[in-house]
Amino acid sequence: MKFSSALRIFIISGILALVGNFVGFKVNPVDALPGMLILLVIVIAGYGLSRVSPIKLPSIAYISALAIIASIPGVPGADLVTKYVGEVQFLALCTPILSYAGISIGKDLDSFKTQGFKIVVVTLLALAGTYVGSAIIAHVVLKLTGAI
Amino acid sequence: MNKKSDWKVHLLALVMVVIAEAIGTKRFQLGPGTVMLLPMLYALVIGMFLPALRLVDREDMDIASPYIGLSVMYLTAKMGTTIGPNLSKIFTAGPALILQEFGNLGTIFFALPVAVLVFRMGREAIGVSFSTSREGSLAIISDLYGLDSDEGRGVMGGYFTGTLFGAIFNGLLAGVLISTGLFHPYALAMAAGTGSASMMAAAMGPTVAAFPEMEAELSAFAATSQLLTSVDGLYMSLFLAIPITEWLYRKLGGKPAAGETKKEAAK
Repeated sequence: MKFSSALRIFIISGILALVGNFVGFKVNPVDALPGMLILLVIVIAGYGLSRVSPIKLPSIAYISALAIIASIPGVPGADLVTKYVGEVQFLALCTPILSYAGISIGKDLDSFKTQGFKIVVVTLLALAGTYVGSAIIAHVVLKLTGAI
Repeated sequence: MNKKSDWKVHLLALVMVVIAEAIGTKRFQLGPGTVMLLPMLYALVIGMFLPALRLVDREDMDIASPYIGLSVMYLTAKMGTTIGPNLSKIFTAGPALILQEFGNLGTIFFALPVAVLVFRMGREAIGVSFSTSREGSLAIISDLYGLDSDEGRGVMGGYFTGTLFGAIFNGLLAGVLISTGLFHPYALAMAAGTGSASMMAAAMGPTVAAFPEMEAELSAFAATSQLLTSVDGLYMSLFLAIPITEWLYRKLGGKPAAGETKKEAAK
């Protein structure tokens, strides 16, 4: 995809998030706009970096790293980043994603129907796996370090 | 390349966002956990009815597909900005809290063998097994494989399941683990922070109820673990969980990817 096409989609989906942020969370788009623009700059910078950087990593790795750095206390402007981005609700950013996913999902519906039960069981096993896995390691390390 | 204009897709997405957000988040109590119905789930469900209503055709679906991967980047950026202010807390967390983060890879070893060997699932198994399928996982799969790939269907199914039943399941599981007496309550509290607030709350309910005298320490451990998972989750998934899942999938004899149909969502 051309960079300009991606940029256009960033702007459109940003508008969708602003609308959702207003309808669902009653945050005035004018208040949320600075935070959305900050996120847009981070997204564009990270996306651009992943295209030109010799280190081949997915764009979200760059975007996440830039967003973390921009919000570390002491980094110039970090307090403003935290303040303004706070106006943009996490859930409001999720809804546009799942809207596009919903539109494109029609062709996969049959596959979902046949896989449904299996996916439910495997998901619950995954949840049990992270819980039990973490509990075992935590228990052993606490024992070894004499904390319990 | 698509010649058709994509404005219909964006307009539909806008209408779906407005409807979904207007309904808003609904919560109800079910057994030991809360069931949360989120706007994004409504958006997904509305989408499922669009083809039957003849509002979208195959071409629209293909147009919308790369937009998932691009809109997910905002979410990644937002999650990143919540990490920075908390980064320093990692250094004071202590070895047990840090190391138990690797227990999050337990998803793979519990889920993948059953998915591949028992259920004979294809690469959906990778999407649903590498993590707990929360929002960050959607972003990762979307970036690496595309959400409309086999792996994408796996993580979306996992996302659906976890959002609807995750809290209840974790509440029940916590009760079971407490009753075995195998784990110190501190370990259970640290394990409760798996990256989802509602799942953590459900897991902590029975734990605190069983050990009320330790409530303050237990809550602090769970909250720190939760924070650590939010900090390391993306990088742990990219550099450990996905490669390990791919490796184990091959070892277990999982079906290879379907030819060259793999989507490159963001490129």
